[in-house]
Amino acid sequence: MSALKEYKGSRYIAEKQVLVIDVGHAYTKFGFVSEAAPRGIVRSEIKCPNTDTIRNIFSYKDQNDLYELLVEFLHNIFFKRIMISAKDIKVVNVESPLVTTEFRNILTKVLFRHFEVGAIMFLPTHLVTTCTLACQTILVLDVGYEEASVIPIYEGVPILKAWQALPLGAKAVHKTIMKAMQEILTEEECTEKLIEDIKVRTCFVTTMERSAKLLTDNPPTPPPNVKYFTKRSLEIPGTVRESAFEKLWERDLDNLSIPTMILDSIIKCPIDARKPLAENILLIGGTVMTTGFITRLKSELEHIVNSEPYSEKLTLRKFKFHTAPSKPNYTAWLGGAIFGIAADLPSRCLSKEAYLETNHVPDWVCLIDNRKDDGENIEY
Amino acid sequence: MAYLRQPEYVQYSCSCGSLKSISKIYFCRHCLSIRCGFCVCHEVDSYYCPNCLENLPTSEVRLKKNKCSNCFDCPCCLQTLSIRLGQSFSVSSQSKSEEESKPTTKKVYYLSCSLCRWSSRDAGIPDQTVATGSWKEQENPYSNRVNALINYYKILASFEKQQKERKKFHIKRSFLQFEKFGITSAMARKRSGRPPLTQAQNQTVTTPTPSVAEENVDESLSDLFTKSIDITRTTTIDQRLQHPELQADTIDKLRPQKKQFIIKRSQRCRTCEHNVSKPDYCSTSTKFKIQLAAYYHLPEVRIVTYEPLQFGKSSELLLKLSNPTQHQMQITFLSLETPVITTTKVQGVVEEINKERIQMGCDSPNLLPSAIRQTAVIEEVKPIIVVPNGEILLPNSSFTLPPKDEAAEYDELNVPQNFQDDPKVVVWRNSNKSVIRLHVLPDVTKSSGDMPETVIVGFVMQFSYINTIATLEHKTPQKLDLRVKLYLTLDNSSKIARTASMLK
Amino acid sequence: MEPQDIYYNKNEYVETASGNKVSRQTVLCGSQNIVLHGKVIVQSDAIIRGDLANVKTGRYCIIGKNVVIRPPFKRFTRGIAFFPLQMGDHVFVGDNSIVSAAIVGSYVYIGKNAVIGRRCVLKSCCYIEDGAVVPPETVVPSFTKFGGNPAKCIEDLPECTMDLMVDFTKSYYQHFLPSKV
Repeated sequence: MSALKEYKGSRYIAEKQVLVIDVGHAYTKFGFVSEAAPRGIVRSEIKCPNTDTIRNIFSYKDQNDLYELLVEFLHNIFFKRIMISAKDIKVVNVESPLVTTEFRNILTKVLFRHFEVGAIMFLPTHLVTTCTLACQTILVLDVGYEEASVIPIYEGVPILKAWQALPLGAKAVHKTIMKAMQEILTEEECTEKLIEDIKVRTCFVTTMERSAKLLTDNPPTPPPNVKYFTKRSLEIPGTVRESAFEKLWERDLDNLSIPTMILDSIIKCPIDARKPLAENILLIGGTVMTTGFITRLKSELEHIVNSEPYSEKLTLRKFKFHTAPSKPNYTAWLGGAIFGIAADLPSRCLSKEAYLETNHVPDWVCLIDNRKDDGENIEY
Repeated sequence: MAYLRQPEYVQYSCSCGSLKSISKIYFCRHCLSIRCGFCVCHEVDSYYCPNCLENLPTSEVRLKKNKCSNCFDCPCCLQTLSIRLGQSFSVSSQSKSEEESKPTTKKVYYLSCSLCRWSSRDAGIPDQTVATGSWKEQENPYSNRVNALINYYKILASFEKQQKERKKFHIKRSFLQFEKFGITSAMARKRSGRPPLTQAQNQTVTTPTPSVAEENVDESLSDLFTKSIDITRTTTIDQRLQHPELQADTIDKLRPQKKQFIIKRSQRCRTCEHNVSKPDYCSTSTKFKIQLAAYYHLPEVRIVTYEPLQFGKSSELLLKLSNPTQHQMQITFLSLETPVITTTKVQGVVEEINKERIQMGCDSPNLLPSAIRQTAVIEEVKPIIVVPNGEILLPNSSFTLPPKDEAAEYDELNVPQNFQDDPKVVVWRNSNKSVIRLHVLPDVTKSSGDMPETVIVGFVMQFSYINTIATLEHKTPQKLDLRVKLYLTLDNSSKIARTASMLK
Repeated sequence: MEPQDIYYNKNEYVETASGNKVSRQTVLCGSQNIVLHGKVIVQSDAIIRGDLANVKTGRYCIIGKNVVIRPPFKRFTRGIAFFPLQMGDHVFVGDNSIVSAAIVGSYVYIGKNAVIGRRCVLKSCCYIEDGAVVPPETVVPSFTKFGGNPAKCIEDLPECTMDLMVDFTKSYYQHFLPSKV
């Protein structure tokens, strides 16, 4: 028996690497715990084994389809990207609290049943970003591909009641550009990939003053056109470059936009939490990296808060922004990589054994997991 | 190689329910069942650089973050950079007169991309005097801050671990990290004037300075509206994401990236934990220590030709079967409905494996001692998605495939073999191969009106297999009857459908 | 799928004692520098530039139509030098491809219209897709499939690639028959 123990010891003596993965709608970030940057950021797409076409993993038809896409996708990440045997490793899954239960369950099933990982630690996107700042009170705005979401964190506790989400992300921007470029691009050229490239390389968020004039009869001189090359040479009009992101600031039918989301969220918070939240805003997600985004957000916030109806409800006049020690598109991942250190602790993870026994993924919306805790609280 | 170029016309059904061509499946000789890439456990075997093919041990690879220290990728086009020898001219300063000042040449190295012509000189990276090892990687600008945070959380984690150990009898129910100390408790504490819990506990730990929010956002947007952009100087998103730490937005800020290693994988059967494939450690070798690909164990079925398919009419289909093993094979065709795993013999084998496992235990190099092995996690069997839309008329008689004989191909004279073949079924024979004739009848009921472009037919093939693994009790090889389900896709529109007369 | 018979004009091809079948419609420059190791097929309009440097092939190599096999060069400070081109056994080069590699290992499949840049090294058991452009000085590792322009690793090859390739080249040779007329 002692020989066995020794064998076991030597086998596990090297500390196992803990994988941190953040599966986004457009890009997936992956790397290891306690590293300062992800090992890689890849598109969340994979060659479908049945049809041989590249498909986004969120374009699934049913659960079996998703299962197979995720198997292929994660296999690629495990064996081509980070190169680690998946069996018995620990995984930190950074996920949005708004992710669909279906996706979450299948992802967990794939990790446990197919890859036989040892344990998974689930971390909500907005909350883990607090680790990157060492602050406890932050209002987190995540503008990703599919949607923009706001969740305020107060003293390390997410105020879920005050969450806000709108389908204002890169997808909405792409749609705007696609519409504007309709006449310039042929139908087959008009792919999401090309539009994304145009967006990333040429477009920016304009200032509020200019934006107000854009739709008037006397618009400001548009920025210079940009020569762009695909298979042929074409020109991206300055107006397209400037107005690509306008969608995010325009009020929709319910009078909502990204800045109002932040203010609405603050209003829903307890009154003495409002000021600290407004003065601790953190922007994450790929879309916020666009030039001019933060400037625009600030001026929009300051403008809207001084106008009806917010000027009555809120006495705030100051907004302050944090800078995380990372690029915004992987800030949530970094939070996972820092907090994931606690994945050592069995109580913070869902182990394979526990999952196989119950076949259930704990979830905050599920009452089974959400009853009042009688155990002791250990906090950070 | 046809398997790599063409769609999979002949698909074998794996025991997990996937349908794959014979080149992509394995045959586990220990559980005597078919496995495929989907249902085996993949493991990283060895790491090597895809460019210089240098093998490195795992520990070193981890230290180097899976990257080769000698080879670089072009930051522009992501191809391999080559190291070029250049010369730098340095004029010796002592000799002032024009004639004497012969420039002394020094060997220097720079990186250059042979595809997009990017070079380290254009990027402003100084030339190096040694070819490899001296190229510096860019540092993450945030690494100090992040490391401080990580250290802080490490202390916290160990703190919590200690506490846990002290109060082991407490059982925690919730897996959720943060919900447990809900907002109400935090607010209650605040209201009652007590400090939040966090501060009370963390007195022993030096907290890193919290980030300070700024009111001023520094973004210079002044020239945004007037400056024209040169699209060739701005980076694409792929180039940016190649280096997540920096994500440079202009081409001149790009730096060469160390080449990532690639791996050799070994595959392990999940049921019996024997390897079905284990490559040689050496990066340049294409050999395998363990190779249980189905291609070497199952009879291979290939479509030779078939008559154009028509409704209500049976068409001839010629299949070529070959026996890759060293033993004679008896092959019988059964209808698709036949269950694949039935034979009691197989059951017996499984028991034997179990016995063998217990006895061999620690000695077997590719088996973990049974004590630390966990129960196998088995995925649910996937339903087979293919629906046959044709019927195949199968012969009742079985026939024999002689063993593969490596020497036979050098033998000019083909020794005629004496097999009592049904000439209606067996068309042609040569050493371990034979061509058989079957008939296909497209199903009218399964397709609406028009003749479908592809007709899928399926059947079960039973073949005798000699298991040569010497188990403890049976030194003599056992003969087993195994079954495999096959699906053939007959493409009616392609040129393959021709009259069977073309075959000699 | 079983390969189909390919019939050639008997007058067009020369068959050597070692079983090489070489079309008369080829350009074999510097034929003294070209070694075909037996059972090699060189189809019409292929160009092998033995005049630049030695070209050696193994057994069962199939060189398709209009293929250019050209030893690679390297530029030095004092001019350029050509290096020999080596090819292993069981190599297939599809029609219209240009091969300027330094080493092509054994069991290598090169598709149609592919370009293998100069001084590439194709390790044994690799696959270059149709129309791929492999940039100069690229190393293609074993058991990988490269494709696209510039060529990148697309997927892995199965473990039995070696035997698939042996089977493919052998049966190609067996099905490469003189027309009966």
